[in-house]
Amino acid sequence: MFDSLKKRLNQFKDSISKQENELDEAEFENADVTATNKGAEEARSERQSLDATRPLGQDPDKPQLQSARSLKERDTSAVAKQGTSKAFFEREIKQKDLEEPLWELEMALLESDVAMSVTEGIVRTVSDDLVGKKRKWRQDVGGLVNDALRDGIERVLDVNGLDFDSFIQRAAKPVTIVFTGINGTGKTTTIAKIAHRLKFQGYSIVLAAGDTYRAGALEQIERHAENLGVKLIKHQQGADPAAVIYDAVQYARAKHKDVVLADTAGRIHTNVNLMNQLKKIERVINADLVIFVDEALAGNDAVERALQFNTAMPIDGSILTKVDADSKGGAAISIARATGKPILFLGVGQGYEDIIKFDPEWLINRLLEEEST
Amino acid sequence: MVLENLGTSLRDTLKRIARANRIDEKTLSEVIREIQRALLSADVNVALVQHLSRRIKERASTEQLSEKLNPRQQIVNIVYQELVALLGDPVKLPLTRHIVLMVGLQGSGKTTTTAKLARYFQKKGLKSAVVCADTYRPGAYDQLSQLCERINVAFYGERESRNAIEITAHGVEQLKRYDVILVDTAGRHALESELVLEMKGINDIARADQRFLVLDSGIGQQASEQAKAFDEAIGLTGVIVTKLDGTAKGGGALSAVAEVGTGIAFIGAGETVDDLEKFEPDRFISRLLGMGDIQTLVEMIEEEPPIEAEDAEAMLKGDFTLKDMYKQMQAIGKMGPLRKIVQMLPLGSLGVEIPDDALESTKETLERFKVVMDSMTDEELEHPRVIRSSRIKRIARGSGVSADYVRELLKYHKTMQKAMKGVRSQKEMQKFLKRQGLQ
Repeated sequence: MFDSLKKRLNQFKDSISKQENELDEAEFENADVTATNKGAEEARSERQSLDATRPLGQDPDKPQLQSARSLKERDTSAVAKQGTSKAFFEREIKQKDLEEPLWELEMALLESDVAMSVTEGIVRTVSDDLVGKKRKWRQDVGGLVNDALRDGIERVLDVNGLDFDSFIQRAAKPVTIVFTGINGTGKTTTIAKIAHRLKFQGYSIVLAAGDTYRAGALEQIERHAENLGVKLIKHQQGADPAAVIYDAVQYARAKHKDVVLADTAGRIHTNVNLMNQLKKIERVINADLVIFVDEALAGNDAVERALQFNTAMPIDGSILTKVDADSKGGAAISIARATGKPILFLGVGQGYEDIIKFDPEWLINRLLEEEST
Repeated sequence: MVLENLGTSLRDTLKRIARANRIDEKTLSEVIREIQRALLSADVNVALVQHLSRRIKERASTEQLSEKLNPRQQIVNIVYQELVALLGDPVKLPLTRHIVLMVGLQGSGKTTTTAKLARYFQKKGLKSAVVCADTYRPGAYDQLSQLCERINVAFYGERESRNAIEITAHGVEQLKRYDVILVDTAGRHALESELVLEMKGINDIARADQRFLVLDSGIGQQASEQAKAFDEAIGLTGVIVTKLDGTAKGGGALSAVAEVGTGIAFIGAGETVDDLEKFEPDRFISRLLGMGDIQTLVEMIEEEPPIEAEDAEAMLKGDFTLKDMYKQMQAIGKMGPLRKIVQMLPLGSLGVEIPDDALESTKETLERFKVVMDSMTDEELEHPRVIRSSRIKRIARGSGVSADYVRELLKYHKTMQKAMKGVRSQKEMQKFLKRQGLQ
């Protein structure tokens, strides 16, 4: 995941560097052609001002040293003349010059399944950060661009920093966690994985069979509960999911269990009634955490559905599934942006242990590290 | 929100060039970028978008401008033609005896679509039957058998068997007197080699005439790769796009058919077994580009429901009774989510934005109005004037609403009646303009 994006981000950096250097060259040439005679005069006056401002007996700082040295050379040869102006050369990065590379950046993000609106946000941040930056002759822009990209992606990904493990540790028990999402994203499998993880950490778990709609959902979660050796609270098919989850919480209270993991039926976010059902669950249960589950295969629509689910039942964090079948990963960025909440875990396979913690800092570092190899 | 912005920005760019005689290089690049944006945010494959924009640029700068079309129409026309070419011919299903195999990724909606398709053939007067060859997902058997029972379609499955190939063999044999046999399979993705092998086995046994890939409309850049793998395994004859009742644009489906060189057969847009629509490239493309298309709306209204000619006449004459309103509401109900319909209206260009809440409440209001009208007699529906306070009380009690609510409904009806008169005069105006050659 994210390999192709990383490659493209590096291309973006390279193309800006290259272009800016070419622009330097071009502008410098221009200046030379139009003001050949001015050069010498400028140099003279520069020298005067330098001499005037440089405190005697004190070590001159680097640029001044460079300038002084080149000034000296300039007096003697034409080649050195160029060097002088270069030393004083400073050029602003302009919006106009960035258009092409920024378009490339936009394509790169879109290609990685980052949704359009989110992509535009990142591109804007990067552009705002870069435009107007002054840079010296041939100064490497890599660092500037890197900072801008980091800023752009961090703003999207590094949201409120909820740490799942420490949250569970600190929260009053039982902790109730409700999982939501559209059909077929892998909610039930994810619940089983989280249950496995928490159980390994020493917590006692209760599962709530809140998907009372889909045929076979009961059997599925029953099998997981059996395999993991955890308690399952269920009603019949067609029962009120809020009631099932409520019972599970009551059970956990009575038996002093630590965590309740509540499943819900998949629903399409445009279905008003089913979204209202989520609101009801929220009212009745008042869960400690609401986790939105979506798949890494999702494209632009990831944003819209995350927004809709977040409205019905405010999301505290998201889990991205089927990452093993995906090589792009942009959905993670889209969903984090849309919900303003962190991605907590990634589902990376069929086994119970196939879930890994998501760390935005790690991801950003990985995305932005130089491709040295 | 996002999507509407997109449509708007494409529309704005196109609008700017509408009156230009020639399109210069710079404008053309701008337009193409907007088109790229529209396609990419609809999840069309990036490589495909790049290919497309090259084609569009080439054609727009070399082709002779037709005298009939202004530059804007010219470009839209090129885009449209290129997209249609990618979409391939819509898959036409023969109404003869045949076998259909349904395949797809996990969670794409195969089982629901299988039932919808069985229902489709049934409505066309064919005897359809379904085989459940999904031996993996717990409950798949029950889900499909229940759906079949609901629509009176024959079903074959073996609850305990784990051998999908065997089940298919038995099923096809057992159901051979039926006209159309649909074989539903388990979800799988391209990397699961064992399951791909099983799918090949099922296909060999079933000797299916149609092999449909069921594809979630929300899928992103992976769509073409997955489709390619399915095609290589069994040779797809068509794609069915599902969950279009959500907000996804379905660009993944376009990429998929472009990749494997087949067409889209149907689209699924709803939960009931009747929510299967034939694929229409025009409509699909305008959704893809985010360009509202009033024509589409008109078509939808014309298609549904069977409003009799004289009914329509009556509506336009101003005798817009409660019965007419009821039919109209049914028609709107069948057109799917109001959000979708509103998307097709050129509201964006008028600067009107309808908040989501309003759309939802409108839909609920319509539903409740229908309930209230169900409590009215024929006479009342035909002649709303006879409804006085005692009738209002009765209707309110019958439909479980307040008397005020019934009055509100009657008020709404009056407004609609007036509006319909407006429509009539508008139509006449249009006719007049047409005669004058002004439109």
